[in-house]
Amino acid sequence: MTDRSPLQRPLSRRKLLQASAGVALATALGGATSTARAAGGKVIIGAFADGGLTPFKEKIIPLAKEQLGLDVTFLEDDYGVMLEKFFTDAQNKAGQYDIDLLDDPWVPQFGAADVLEDLGAAGIDGTNSDWIGPLIDMGYWPPRQGPRVKGFETAPPKLVTVPFVGDLQTLTYRNDVYTGGAPATWDELIAKGKEGVKAGKIKYPVVFRGVTGNPIVTSWYPVFLSFGGDFFDDKWKVIFNSPAGKASADFFVGAMKQNAPPGVVEFDSDQEGAAILGGDAGAIIQYSGNAIKSDDPTQTKVAGKLDFGVVPKQVKAIAQLGIFIAGVPKSAPNKANAIAFLKWYVSAATQAKLAEAGSIPVTRSGFAVKDPGNRLIPVALKQLDAGALPRPRMPDWAKVEEILGIQLNKALQAGSGGGAALDVAAGQVTDYLKQAGYY
Amino acid sequence: MNARARSIARERLQGAGLDFALPYLLLAPAVLIALAILLYPLWDGVRASLFFYRYGKPVRAVGLDNYLRLWTDDQFINSLWVTVRFVALSVAIETVLGLALAVFCVREFRGIRFFRTVLIVPMVVTPVVVAIVFRLIYASDAGMITVLSEALGGQPIEILGEPTRAFLALVALDVWEWTPLLFLILLAGLQSLPVEPLEAARVDGAGPWRTFVDHTLPMLRPVLAVAIVLRTIDAFGTFDQIFVLTRGGPGEATRLLSIFGYDTAFKFQETGYAAALFVTMGLLVLALALAAVRLLRRIEAAR
Repeated sequence: MTDRSPLQRPLSRRKLLQASAGVALATALGGATSTARAAGGKVIIGAFADGGLTPFKEKIIPLAKEQLGLDVTFLEDDYGVMLEKFFTDAQNKAGQYDIDLLDDPWVPQFGAADVLEDLGAAGIDGTNSDWIGPLIDMGYWPPRQGPRVKGFETAPPKLVTVPFVGDLQTLTYRNDVYTGGAPATWDELIAKGKEGVKAGKIKYPVVFRGVTGNPIVTSWYPVFLSFGGDFFDDKWKVIFNSPAGKASADFFVGAMKQNAPPGVVEFDSDQEGAAILGGDAGAIIQYSGNAIKSDDPTQTKVAGKLDFGVVPKQVKAIAQLGIFIAGVPKSAPNKANAIAFLKWYVSAATQAKLAEAGSIPVTRSGFAVKDPGNRLIPVALKQLDAGALPRPRMPDWAKVEEILGIQLNKALQAGSGGGAALDVAAGQVTDYLKQAGYY
Repeated sequence: MNARARSIARERLQGAGLDFALPYLLLAPAVLIALAILLYPLWDGVRASLFFYRYGKPVRAVGLDNYLRLWTDDQFINSLWVTVRFVALSVAIETVLGLALAVFCVREFRGIRFFRTVLIVPMVVTPVVVAIVFRLIYASDAGMITVLSEALGGQPIEILGEPTRAFLALVALDVWEWTPLLFLILLAGLQSLPVEPLEAARVDGAGPWRTFVDHTLPMLRPVLAVAIVLRTIDAFGTFDQIFVLTRGGPGEATRLLSIFGYDTAFKFQETGYAAALFVTMGLLVLALALAAVRLLRRIEAAR
C-alpha cells in the first residue's frame, strides 16, 4: 500500500468546497471580530493643554470606559499650535482626531470651511431646554442670532459643535485684602488692592496677561465689556474705538499696569497664575484652569485666602465666555464612537458627574448638583446671570484679535495711549475686513 | 537564443542608443523623486500665491494681487525690516566671534581638542530647547537675570517686555547658538591655509596682527564668504526660538517674516497671501545668495 502525504493527495471538489467554506467562515469571523473591536470603542480627543480640562481627564475619561466601554485617547498640545493642527487635519481629511476640543472663537472658522459633522443631524438636540442658552448658541454655524458674514446670510444654522466645558472669566481675589467680599467696581479693586500692598499682605493689587495677541485681548476683554464697549455693529463696522472702548483701554494700560507686577507686558497664563497662587497679587480675572487650583495647598501658597466673585463693573459686570467646545471632523476615523461619546457626555447624568468632578458644566442640570466639586461652579452661574458674552462670531476673529493684541501690547509697554491704540487697530481691522469681503 | 544571437541583439540595442540612455534611465528614479519633493511644492506654492483663499480654499484667481498687497501691508514691511536687522546683526556678531575663536583654536596646545568640542555644543542643541532655557534666563518674574538682580538688591529686569531688549535678547540667543557654526567652518578654512606665506611674513618681520590682516584674512576670504552666505540664508528662516520665546512680541518687535508668514498661513488661513509672502522671501534670499556668489567670483578673479 502506497501512502501519499496529505500534500500529494488529489483535492476532491467536496474538500475544496469544505476548505473554501472554512476560509470564508474564518474571514467572516475575523471581520466581525475586528468590527466589534472598532465599535467596542476608541475615541481620539484632541485638545489644547489647559487646567480647565483636568477634572474631565481625571474623572470623566475613566467613567466613559466604565459606562460606554470606550477607550479615550487624549492628545494635547500648546494652545498656539492646536488651531493649526485641528484645521489642517480636518481640511486634509487626515483623520487624526475623532473629537476636536476647540476654543469657541474657532467655531466660525471651522463652520465656514464646512469641515465638521452636523451634530444636530447626528441626533444631538440643540433645542433641549437643559442647555445654557449662550453656550449652545456658540455651537451653531452660521450663528442663530446676531450679524452674519457674507455668503452665510440665508444659510440654515447647523449645530457643528457642542459645548464641552462651560468656562468663563470670573474674579479670583484675596479675602484678606478685600475683606468685604468681591470688589464691585474696578476702582474699588485698585483702591483696596493698594491698601493690601501698604499692609504688606500682597505685592500688587492686580495681575493679568500682557503678551501680544490672544492673551492681552483676553485680559482686556472684561474691562472693555464692563466699560460698555462693543466690537462691531450689525454690518461688521468697527466700533471698538468708541469713547467707552477707549476709556477701557486707557484704564487697562494705565491704572491696571501701574498696579500690576513689573514685566506684566510679557506675562502669559503661567506667570499670572504664579502671581496669584504664589500670594503676590490681590486679584485676577481668569478662567477656571488656574482658579480651580485655589484650594489646593500643593498648588498655592495662599490656600484658604482666595475667593471667587463676579467680575467688577464700570457700567455693567460682563465677563468673556471662553468655552471648550467639541466638534467631530468629517474625516474622524471613529465617527460613530465620537458621536455616541458626545451624546453621553452632554446627558444630564454625565454633566452632573462633571460638576461633581469640579468642572464647569454646560447644562442647567449640571449646575444644580447638590455637591459641586469646586466652589467656583456656583460663582460661574452667578457670572452667567450677571452677564457673559462670547467673542464676535466671525471666521476672522483670530486676525482681529492679533491686530488688537499688537496695538494694546504696544500701549501697555508705553503705559499710556490705550485709546489711540484702538484707533490704529480700528483702521487696520477695517482694511483687513474690507479685503476679506466683509463690506 | 544562443550566445551568438544574444550578442547580436545586445549590439543592436547598443546601436539603438542603450549605452547613451542607460545612465539616464538609472538616474530617472532619483530625479523623479527629487522633482516630486522639490519642484512640486515649489510650483504648488507659486500657484497658490496667485489665488485668493477663503476658509482654507481657493476662491478666485487674483494674478499678482497678493504680491502687490505685500508692499502695502505695514505688518509685512515691519516684519521684513525686523528680519533684515536681525539677520544683519546676528550674522555680523557671529562672524566676528566665530573668526576670533577660530584664530584662537587653530593653534595646538594642551586641552585644545576638548575646548573645540565644547565650543560646538550649542549648535547641536535643539533650537526649541535653547529657547526654553533662554526663557528661564530672561523671564522677568522668576528668570535667572531677575533673580540675580534681586539678590544684589536690584529690581526685576524686564527683557522680553521691552522691544529693544527683547530684540537684542533674541540676537544674543542666536549668537550663542550659531557662532559655533561660523567657528567650525572658519577653523577648517584656517587649518587648510598654506603656511609658507605666513612664515615668510614672519621672517620679514611682520607681527601677528599684520600677518593676520595682510595674509591670513585675504586667503580666508572665500571660506568666510561661504560661511556668511550659509548663515545668512539660515538666519532668514529663524522660527523656533522666536515662536517659543516671544511669538513676535512685544508688539511686533521680534516678528520676523517666518513668524508673520506662519500666522498668516495657519492662524488666519490666508493661504494665497502667505504663499506670496514665502515666494517673495525665497526670492530675496536667492538674490542675496546670487550676489554673494558673484562677490566670491570677483574675489577669486582678483587673487
